[in-house]
Amino acid sequence: MEKVSQRKVKGGKFVKVKVSSEGGYITDAKITGDFFAHPEDAFEQVEKELKGMPVDRVRGTVESALGGIVLVGLSKEDLIEMIEECLE
Amino acid sequence: MDRLRVLGFSVFEPTVNMALDEAIAEAVGSAKSPPTLRFYGWSPSAVSIGYFQEIHEEVDLEFCHSNGIEVVRRITGGGAVIHTKGELTYSFTVCDKDPAVPQDIQGSYMRICAPIVSALRGLGADAVFAPINDIEVGGKKISGNAQTRRFGAVLQHGTILIDLERGMLRALKVKREKLQDRGADSVGNRLITLKEILGRDLRPGELSSAIVKEFRKHFKCKVEYGKASPIELCRVPAIAERHKSIDWLFRR
Repeated sequence: MEKVSQRKVKGGKFVKVKVSSEGGYITDAKITGDFFAHPEDAFEQVEKELKGMPVDRVRGTVESALGGIVLVGLSKEDLIEMIEECLE
Repeated sequence: MDRLRVLGFSVFEPTVNMALDEAIAEAVGSAKSPPTLRFYGWSPSAVSIGYFQEIHEEVDLEFCHSNGIEVVRRITGGGAVIHTKGELTYSFTVCDKDPAVPQDIQGSYMRICAPIVSALRGLGADAVFAPINDIEVGGKKISGNAQTRRFGAVLQHGTILIDLERGMLRALKVKREKLQDRGADSVGNRLITLKEILGRDLRPGELSSAIVKEFRKHFKCKVEYGKASPIELCRVPAIAERHKSIDWLFRR
């Protein structure tokens, strides 16, 4: 099942998270928006690592994949919250 | 940063503009070129979207196609920008170890936008830096800026509105969430141009010279007008080819 969570982060940027899950596992994840991340390709890594993860492992996966990444216009917390919203 | 190479205003195809910024960043990041400030225009007109943006969410592709507007994806994050006649684009590239630019992202936007704000003020526009990455006059956006750090360089490019073909704004699909947050009811209301503020037209060169002068003051550096180097130019075709690919443009 594919679900979407999108918002303009307060004081930040527009973020849209699209997550598909099946049988308690994430099957696909796409994060888009007009935010900034340095380095940028860290987000391809997060999306890749989320695929195949049990739905209760979102926090750990995002935190480890984005460790050392500078985010501008959204926070890791925003991202985790939005991914979890898609899995509710 | 004791000297700054300036590449004067020139008009290129959209993918060549993206490729030149990237080729310059590669050369500056590996100390093969000095810090560089480049000014450019776009022909044909184009929409550039941010690295993380979903193309179908941001761009009316049909409108672009029927109006001869090209679409490119930037290597920098941020939002969609329309580049038409009357819009001046700049790029500033410096080695990422250069103490002239703070490591902190927000601080570095402020630092690099400061000479642009000063130049606009000098011309008579009451410009202020508006975090995260905009310059505004009277609460309306006149300039948007975007940064990346790769190849050992900091690259910041941005747009400054001298004039705007407002009809072209239909190329952008702007989200209601974003406009409401800014207290505007359409993207046109959210933007302001130098021509509207000053009540006169301005050549791109008039604005770019004012910006160059302010960079020299703010960074206390020597300015040398120059050209793209052979190392940079020979990288352009391959990078432009990547920017033309469906894989890159539609990756999100």
